[in-house]
Amino acid sequence: MTAQALVPREKKIAQKRIALTGNHAVALAVKMCRPDVIAAYPITPQTPVVEKLAEYVNNGELDAEYIPVESEHSAMSAVIGASAMGARTFTETSSQGLMHMYENLPIAVGLRLPIVMGVAARTISAPINVWGDYSDVMTMRELGWIIYIVQNAQEAFDTIIQAYRVAEDQRVHLPAVVAYDGFWTSHVLQPLDVPEDEEDVIRFSPITRSWVKLDVDKPLQLGAVGTPEWYWEIRWQAVEALRESLKVIEEIDREFDKWFGRSYGLFDTYRLEDAELAIVTYGSIYGLVKKVVNRLREEGVKAGALRLRVIRPWPGDKLRKALDNIEKVFVIDRAINHGGPLIGPMATEVAATLQRPVYNALATIGMRAIDSDMIYEAAVKVAKGLWAPNQTYTIGLRGGYE
Amino acid sequence: MRIETLWLGRGGQGIVTATYIIANAAVMDGFYAIANPEFGAERRGAPVKAFLTIDKNPIEDLEPIKTPDAVIIFDDKLIDSMRFAIDAVKPGGYVIVNSAKQPEEVRKIVGRNDVYIVVVDAVGIAMKHVGLPVPNGPLAGAFSKVMGFPRLESIKTAFENQLGKAVEENFAATKEAYEVAVVLKPEKVDTSAKPKGVISTTSAFLTGPYELVGWQQVNKGGAVGPGSSLQYLTGGWRIEKPIIDHSKCIMCRKCWLYCPDDAIIEAWREAPGPRGRVFRTKVIDFDYQYCKGCGICAEVCPTGAIQMVREI
Ligand code: SF4
Ligand code: SF4
Repeated sequence: MTAQALVPREKKIAQKRIALTGNHAVALAVKMCRPDVIAAYPITPQTPVVEKLAEYVNNGELDAEYIPVESEHSAMSAVIGASAMGARTFTETSSQGLMHMYENLPIAVGLRLPIVMGVAARTISAPINVWGDYSDVMTMRELGWIIYIVQNAQEAFDTIIQAYRVAEDQRVHLPAVVAYDGFWTSHVLQPLDVPEDEEDVIRFSPITRSWVKLDVDKPLQLGAVGTPEWYWEIRWQAVEALRESLKVIEEIDREFDKWFGRSYGLFDTYRLEDAELAIVTYGSIYGLVKKVVNRLREEGVKAGALRLRVIRPWPGDKLRKALDNIEKVFVIDRAINHGGPLIGPMATEVAATLQRPVYNALATIGMRAIDSDMIYEAAVKVAKGLWAPNQTYTIGLRGGYE
Repeated sequence: MRIETLWLGRGGQGIVTATYIIANAAVMDGFYAIANPEFGAERRGAPVKAFLTIDKNPIEDLEPIKTPDAVIIFDDKLIDSMRFAIDAVKPGGYVIVNSAKQPEEVRKIVGRNDVYIVVVDAVGIAMKHVGLPVPNGPLAGAFSKVMGFPRLESIKTAFENQLGKAVEENFAATKEAYEVAVVLKPEKVDTSAKPKGVISTTSAFLTGPYELVGWQQVNKGGAVGPGSSLQYLTGGWRIEKPIIDHSKCIMCRKCWLYCPDDAIIEAWREAPGPRGRVFRTKVIDFDYQYCKGCGICAEVCPTGAIQMVREI
């Protein structure tokens, strides 16, 4: 954890430091954003977030409609319906729950509904494993959702607040997902700063209700058939909106900085300026990667790091600028791109962005433990030319793969 | 040799089946054939189009047919609304029409003198042999007659493959149409001339008149504003139309209740009374612009006042 992330640079609004798990940080941020409707299937893996929200509603701390549905499929259906009525909504899931929600995910995009969802990113069956990696959320890349991947509880808290602003922005009107490491963030207690006055959150992210919605005074039909003459055009608007959202995401992140004293950008970089080796990753292991960068630097290897934060829309131009001059780009992926051109999804996208081969290793699959030594060893192999670009390597797989 | 054809009809008339049967038979005869129907959520009665291409050589390109060699029209009432298809037929090509009208009259409605016009009362023939108003078998027969392929025996085998039932009846209808179809030769053909139009590659014509705008203009999220089906004249879907015998009608309004298209209307009728005075009375009438000829009104009428009569 970096001190920098926790100490606001210029505190504009009064904040207090507390300690929460990632899940409870998300629940608190959601509560402060005052959703009208929360729907969830209260079972592993998202329980702590929605349990906390249920508690808030029950205590009268949050005036929301809480719908305990009978499956994640229904959870997404319920928030789609509520959002289409103009309600600010929230749901949370992960792993098989997200899989079960799947057929409804693109509907939120097509109807342009600014639903915000939390995902404590986890792997998928089989074999049954509810532990952390990014297999679940990576499957959402083609659907049109805005996808944030955050590093810690503080960023999860802040990003939920930003996500509502972005999703409900007139130029966007798209659903957004905030993903954070299952267990390594979701269940880890960390300090974070939260506003003393909750009103500041709703002031920063007021509910606009500006999206396409059902209103008896202005009758509309949502979800009609889009015949071949219409479907593509309607869908293309969502494509354009997602592209457009890139600048909205940055704009709102900057404004968030002015209010809360924290900002994250589309991605985060560390000692990258003069680097010859860049380690690219996402989620909580970025802290380990930074440690490895320091160690390599001490040993004379010009290393740097980059943490992907917004993966949809993909910040291609900026990434290119940040990584173009770096000789070796080493992407540590945390989900398997089965049978893909590179075995990690983000490595594939980084390679396509840079239009040259990148180094790629998989780590943390099914929440296989990882420490900075393991990352260091892998990075040394890349630096020394023992690993080749465009190949598949693993960190922590027994039997290895080299 | 490559023959591109367009089959136009209505849901329930067996358009798609007809193209499958001809393609099936053509393959048996040693040709390559591709039958690619194009339809959406249409129900019985709604316009449907299907494409059929037959070639000596393998066909890989499923390109939309824009200027067909032949158009087969399952319903002469479609001629007006589907004129774009008739205009697109290549000079020297064929327009095959199911109609009970006189061939010369059909030629007038078709309005082209540079194509073969083939007229057959396919519904009449189908009623006689199959007992159903499905004109596909007879039209397959008329097609075989003018094109010279596929062979009738192959069509019969195709019926067996495709339908697996009522093969004899359908084949009898096909054969009769083969024999009786009237072929009117073109007056003059300039094969170097281009067809008057091309068939649009959108299926917009199937669902009514609207402006196709760019993605910048379509409603966000595909939202649809309030409107009505006023412009959507389902009356064109009809094969049979209801007529009423007012002397039997007891004004129970059951027909009005059940009509799915709001096509039953109440109208005023003036009738002279016994002493010369004119009375205005309410009677049941039909709005034929919207009546799609489903026959439900005739079915539910407790007194049998409504009859369905053939229109094409
Ligand atoms: S046939 Fe009768 S019930 Fe059917 S649409 Fe026409 S008027 Fe209505
Ligand atoms: S159902 Fe028959 S009797 Fe009743 S109103 Fe209609 S036509 Fe007349």
